Amino acid sequence: MTAEDKVIINKLPTGVPGLDEIVGGGLPEFSFNIIAGAPGSGKTTLAHQFVFANATPERPALYFTVLGESAIKMLRYQQQYTFFDPSLLPVSIRFINLSQVVLEKDLGAVLEEITKEVTKSNPAVVVVDSFRTMVRKPLDGMDLQAFIQRLALFLASWQATTFLIGEYAEEELRDNPIFTVADGLFWLRQTTERNSIVRKLQIIKLRGQASVPGLHTFRITNAGLQAFSRTFGLTADRRNALGLKRLSFGIPEMDKMLDGGVREGDSVLVAGSSGTGKSVLATQFIAEGIRQGESGIVAVFEERPQAYAERAATLGLDLEKPQSKGKLEILYLRPLDLSVDETMHSILSAVQKIGAKRLVIDSLVGFEMALSPGFRADFRESLYRMIFALTGIGVTILSTVEVDESFIEFPFSTYSISFLTDDIIRLRYVSIDGQLRKVMTVIKMRGGNHAKDIREYEITSQGVVLLDTRLTAYQGLIGGLPVHTGRSSRQEDTVLDLGVERDS
Amino acid sequence: MESATLRVYDKLRRCLVSFAGVASFQSIAVRALVLAQAEVPNLCAAQVTVEGALQGLGNVEGQTSMDKNLVGSQQTGEDPPGEAGAILIACILGLLLTFLGEALTLSLLRNAWPAATFDDRNSGNGRKA
Repeated sequence: MTAEDKVIINKLPTGVPGLDEIVGGGLPEFSFNIIAGAPGSGKTTLAHQFVFANATPERPALYFTVLGESAIKMLRYQQQYTFFDPSLLPVSIRFINLSQVVLEKDLGAVLEEITKEVTKSNPAVVVVDSFRTMVRKPLDGMDLQAFIQRLALFLASWQATTFLIGEYAEEELRDNPIFTVADGLFWLRQTTERNSIVRKLQIIKLRGQASVPGLHTFRITNAGLQAFSRTFGLTADRRNALGLKRLSFGIPEMDKMLDGGVREGDSVLVAGSSGTGKSVLATQFIAEGIRQGESGIVAVFEERPQAYAERAATLGLDLEKPQSKGKLEILYLRPLDLSVDETMHSILSAVQKIGAKRLVIDSLVGFEMALSPGFRADFRESLYRMIFALTGIGVTILSTVEVDESFIEFPFSTYSISFLTDDIIRLRYVSIDGQLRKVMTVIKMRGGNHAKDIREYEITSQGVVLLDTRLTAYQGLIGGLPVHTGRSSRQEDTVLDLGVERDS
Repeated sequence: MESATLRVYDKLRRCLVSFAGVASFQSIAVRALVLAQAEVPNLCAAQVTVEGALQGLGNVEGQTSMDKNLVGSQQTGEDPPGEAGAILIACILGLLLTFLGEALTLSLLRNAWPAATFDDRNSGNGRKA
C-alpha cells in the first residue's frame, strides 16, 4: 500500500495550547476518546476547550451531562474561561441532560436517547460528562461492554469525534473494558508536592498517530488548560548543524582563551561563588551579541528585569534600548511552582518571537528555586532536555551557577551537570599577597581548543577585565590558597597557552 | 383555557429540562416560586411538582381576577390578572441571569422563542429581563 492509498485521518484542533503538538498534530477525527482523572483535574475544562474549538452551526457539538455537576452550575463556572463563547450556545453547542434517563431506565435507554439526539443534530463532537456516573449504576438490561461497543460504533458511524469523561483510579486501567474500546485515552493527574500542586497529563493511548510519550505538565489558568510538551515542541529531526561561527564575549582576552569565542549553538556554564562576576560576564555576553546584531534573551530569577538593566548600565551596557527595539527580552521567571516545561515555554516563545541567538539563564540556582518542589527532583534531567532542545535550534546558552567556594576542592557545579554543557568557565577567589583576588580558567570546551591558562581578572566599570599575564609565580591556584614558587610573578613572553588540549 | 403564564412556564420548562435536567429545573422553579410569593402572597396556592410542573396557578389567577371584579385592582392595589404569573416567570429569569449571566440566558430564551425579539437594553440586571 502506497502512502497515497492510505486513508487520510484529519486532525482536529484540541483547543488546548500545547496539546496539539503532544497528540501528534491534533486529535484524530471520528476517534472515540476517554478523558480520565480525579475530581478537579480539569477533565471537563479540557472537553469544553475541544468543543468550543470545533463546534459549528452545521456540525454542532452535543454535550450530554449525566449525574455529576448540573449544566447550569457547570456553565456558570465554565463561562469564566476566556475560550468560552456564549454565542455558540445553543445552536453550535447543545447541552442535553440525561440524568432522568440514567436514574429511571437502563443503559439501553441511555443509548437510545443519545442515538436519537445524535441522529437529529448530526454533531461533529459528542461529549458524555460524566460517563462514570452511568457505569456506577447497578446494571440491568444492557451490559456495560455491549453499551460501550454499540455507542462507539454508532458515534464513529455518524462521523462524530467523541469524549467520554470519567473519574477513574489508575488501578482501573488494567482490566476496564472501556479502555480497550477507546481510540484515545487522556489521563489527567494532580499531585501535591509539599505545598504545591503539580498537574500532569499523559496520552496513554492514541490510535492512528504518534503522540509524545510521557507525562506532560499542564496548568489551568483563566484561559483554560495549557499543556507543556516534554519535548518543548522541538524534536531531534529539527536540530541544526553545529555552527562554525564563534560568538564573542566582547572581552578580547577572554575570546582568545576560548579559541575565538563560544561556538554557536554551544551550552556554556559559568560557575563561581558569589561576587565572582558570573552575572557581569553573562551581561557582557548578551550585550556583545546585541552589538553584533544577534538578538538575545535573559532569563532572570533573582532580580527584576529593571534592576538587571540598571546594573548593566553601571557597566556602560545599555539594555534598555535593545529591549524597546525588540532585540532583547529580559524574562523574569520568579513565580514559584513553575515546571521546567512552563519555564521553557516562556523562553522558547521569547526566542521565537525575537529570533534570539543568545540566551542567558541567570542563574540555575534561581531557576531551581522557582520550580515546584516536585520538579526539583527532576531538575538535572529537565535541564538536559532544555539544553538539548534549545541548542538544537541554534541558540547559544550561557548559564550561570553558584558553587560553594572551597579551598580543598574545585567543583564545577552543584548539579553534576557539567556533562550537559559544552563549555565550562570557572571563576574563583584566590588568596594572594594578603588580597582576595579573582582568577578564571576554561575547564572544558567541547570540540575546540581552549587556553589552559589561569588568568587573573578584575571587575571594573567596564565589566570583566582580564589582567595581562598568567600567574606563573604561584602553585595551587585552583585550590584558592596558592604558594609562591619564587619564580617571576610576571611572565612576559607567554601570556596565553593555546591550542594544546582538545576535549571531545 | 390555559393561561399565558402556564404556556410560557411550560416552554421554559421544556427548554431547561432538556438542557439541565428535571431536578435542576425543579429546584430553580421552587426557589422562584418562593421569591414570587414574597411579592404575591396569593401564589402560596401554587406549587411545583417533582417533575417541575406548575400547579395551582389557575386558582391564584382566578382569585386575583375575582378580587379585581369585586373591588377593582386599582383601588385595592392588588395585582391585575396574570401579574402573579408574570412575577413568577420574572423570578425564574432572574435566577437564570444570576446563575448563567445575560448572554447565556438570552441564548436559551432565543432558542425557546426563535421568532421573538429580545430587547437587550433592559436586561442588564436581575428582574429587568
